[in-house]
Amino acid sequence: MAHLSLRRSVFLLLAAAPAALAADYSFYALMAVTKEYVVGAKLPPSGLFLRRESDWHHAAYNHPFLFGFDSDPADPSTLYLAAGNGLFRAARHGEEWTLLTGSDVTELRDVSVAPDGTIYFAYSHGIRVSRDRGMTWREISGGLRRKFTEALRVDRTKPDTLLAGGEEGIFRSGDGGLTWQLAGAAGIQITRIEQSPLNACLWLATTYEAGLYGSTDCGRSFESTGRLGVGRNLYDVAFHPSDPARIAVAGWGPGVAISEDSGKTWQFRNKGLPTAEVTAVAFDPAHPGRIYAGIHQEALFVSDDLGQSWHRDGLDGSSITRLKFVPAGGRTQ
Amino acid sequence: MKTLLTLGIATLLMPVAAAAETPEFARRKLEIIDAYAHYPGPGDAGYGQIAARLWKHEDAAWCSRRLEELLAAGPTGDMFWMFPVTAIAHLDQGQLTPSARQALKRAWKTYMPYRGDTENHFLLYYSTLYLMSQYWPNEGPGTWYTGKTSEGNLEEARQWIENWVKLTTTRGQGEYDSPHYMGVYLIPMSYLAAWAKDPAMRKRAQMMVEYLIADYAPENLDGLYVGAHARIYEDQLLERWKGVSSDFGWLWFGNGRRLPMPDNYVLYYSLASAYEPPEILKKIGTDRSEPYTHIERKRTRNRWRFFDELNGPVYKTTYVRREYAVGSDQGGTLQPIQEHSWDVTWSVPDPRGVQNTFFTVQPFSSIHELQTYFVFNPDPAVEGVVRSKKTYDSPDKLLGGSPYEKIAQDRDTVIALYDVPANTRFPGINGFFSKDLGETREDPGGWIFMKAGPETYIACKPLRPYVWKPIPDGAPGAGGRRLYSPDPKNGVVVQVAAASEYPDLAAFGRAVKALPLEITWEPVPRVRFRTLRGRAMDVTYGAEPEVDGKLVGYAQWPLFGGPFLEAPVDSERLLLKYGHMRRTLDFRSLTVSDGVE
Repeated sequence: MAHLSLRRSVFLLLAAAPAALAADYSFYALMAVTKEYVVGAKLPPSGLFLRRESDWHHAAYNHPFLFGFDSDPADPSTLYLAAGNGLFRAARHGEEWTLLTGSDVTELRDVSVAPDGTIYFAYSHGIRVSRDRGMTWREISGGLRRKFTEALRVDRTKPDTLLAGGEEGIFRSGDGGLTWQLAGAAGIQITRIEQSPLNACLWLATTYEAGLYGSTDCGRSFESTGRLGVGRNLYDVAFHPSDPARIAVAGWGPGVAISEDSGKTWQFRNKGLPTAEVTAVAFDPAHPGRIYAGIHQEALFVSDDLGQSWHRDGLDGSSITRLKFVPAGGRTQ
Repeated sequence: MKTLLTLGIATLLMPVAAAAETPEFARRKLEIIDAYAHYPGPGDAGYGQIAARLWKHEDAAWCSRRLEELLAAGPTGDMFWMFPVTAIAHLDQGQLTPSARQALKRAWKTYMPYRGDTENHFLLYYSTLYLMSQYWPNEGPGTWYTGKTSEGNLEEARQWIENWVKLTTTRGQGEYDSPHYMGVYLIPMSYLAAWAKDPAMRKRAQMMVEYLIADYAPENLDGLYVGAHARIYEDQLLERWKGVSSDFGWLWFGNGRRLPMPDNYVLYYSLASAYEPPEILKKIGTDRSEPYTHIERKRTRNRWRFFDELNGPVYKTTYVRREYAVGSDQGGTLQPIQEHSWDVTWSVPDPRGVQNTFFTVQPFSSIHELQTYFVFNPDPAVEGVVRSKKTYDSPDKLLGGSPYEKIAQDRDTVIALYDVPANTRFPGINGFFSKDLGETREDPGGWIFMKAGPETYIACKPLRPYVWKPIPDGAPGAGGRRLYSPDPKNGVVVQVAAASEYPDLAAFGRAVKALPLEITWEPVPRVRFRTLRGRAMDVTYGAEPEVDGKLVGYAQWPLFGGPFLEAPVDSERLLLKYGHMRRTLDFRSLTVSDGVE
């Protein structure tokens, strides 16, 4: 009955939360066209893309492996990119890249920037932090038995509280990574962790084969939310920015699943999509009924009726690893 | 007690190769460079032609024009673009036009090469970034795709290169003994040896070139890279001559035959330091007058997931004699996808077109394996791998390691045992029986006796029932046969001998059949076998093998051991031995010492 009680708690927390204000947003996508690509081969336009009117603009460099990004809280036009080559600061809406890391880290998986500007990133063999805008880095995965970390989020209300997902579950640190405690999903590989924009104590995490996990106690403990995605792999989860009951999940097999009741029930919204192999999903904060989904090696798809119908929206042939709306005036708190 | 008389030739920060090239080496090197400089096609001229002509100081105007054309089309290839253009920059020496040089410099701002995900990618990336940052010093961050200064790039690259040298000389190479990728390690070291301005970096690279040659020398048979490999492509696995190693064996030692069009790895090696091995290495690379066992310790590729240690040990054994070589590792998935764990390779007068090898594999394919060694997501993983490694997810494959394969070797005897769980994607084992095997007899006692090449006999005893599957036209190994044995608990015992040791194949068969062999299956496969060499092997699946009642000693396994090379773990030293000749590479002091014993 633990699942039911968790779902009820999620519902209550979301329902009680205030709606965020929609503002002016920059819409970014990380993607790669990898159908014919191996290292050393010609790479079609891939990397960071910024939506301009109805077109996608390829910002700066071609890069085959961009997995995560976050914006600078002091300057939302500056992004931090978790890339194969390292962590990049991408200023001027991604046009001006600076590599902030050296040869000792590779294949970054995620990045999260605290409101005070502290930068955390997850990579193939640990987690690092910089408190001086990327000038110097410190390893903070010493307390983790297995280092590989796929998902990382800093609590937007507590800069020293981190949630990390690797191959052995979800771990929480309340002291900036000095110590870590298992928060749930023990022995399960985690793919993504997200914090609700409306309630800082509500978290969701996607997994390989074990479905969706949730926390209603500020990330201290996570429990399975039910059967959604169990036996398949989930890759992304999105909270609606203003509707507390609306959640979307992306997965390989489940495709796009949407809940309108805080995760109590789910509807698969794949009609009109070429496949149910979905790697990224995002709600449009400026259009309450609009949702985007990245379909593996197909394109970005958009729906204006919450997934009842879909149409292509560019980035043809791509595999999208991340979609993100960044408020022009800084983050929604 | 033996004493080592050092002749006072220790050289600190001095070039390793003070001697002039021998005429034979110079001729072979020029043949390689000419193959590119005067390449008639098919296909358009590329960076290799430009670099070769610049080296020869030929047709500078064409070089500039063609370089600008290639750069205008847009660089591609990541680190495989970086190494050709780095050579071109350093071979320019006043020949290129200012416009061509500017185009090249612009490209290092506008194009961002991916650093890759393997050791060879990183070494190419950082050695070329190092050299180009040195080539254009004092440039600001706006000049480079990294957004760093020249000095920032140089320092980042220096750290990685030095760490790699230290790791390799203390714990072994991670992407070890690849008949193809050996070239990708030699190019960076050859470049740094030729073009690094820092004397310590130049010396370290010169010594690493020699270290890499030494790594290959005892494990080559007529130029073919024998033994277990971290990475090999199927065409090179089955037709052993097709590896880049054939080019290098021919260039360094005059062994075997080079590829018809030499691979560009040997070209770029030749355009930079073009280091000619010293006499002691030539002896090690060519003298097969006495059989020997050579052992090596390497390390696995980085294991990102599912292991507490980033790199695990690899224990290699290679037995070499004039007629054939037998080589193995301990089994397991030590490398993803392209691992080759054991085989017999026999000598033939002309290896071109000949599948002169024999082995068995457990055809393993697994998301778990890919996730161990790669960071990518599981669903598209297999599709992504099969894009370039066509047979990875195939039940009839002949390439790749398996966690359910355990191998023991003593001299020219191999025992491979398998214990495959029921839910494994492809149960059973495959054996490769080449189209080029000679007389083959299936004995009623369960042994298969084969004549391999003119001078080798092989006996193989499959421990479970098997069937023969033809290898169809167009498939790797076409014309040969695949032995398929479906039992999950399985194994083979293989004994090899020189044909000269027996009157004929029948006599060899009788000798093998007379050897004591005891097999048990529960709880795990176990074989006890007395070899033709009189050694008692006791091999239990999952346990360290024993020979003559003693463990083979993995805990004490050195980086190199045998009659020609010695290097303890963590030593950063390599001792080369041949007859009374001795040569020591000491990476702690960056010195090379020659002596006699």
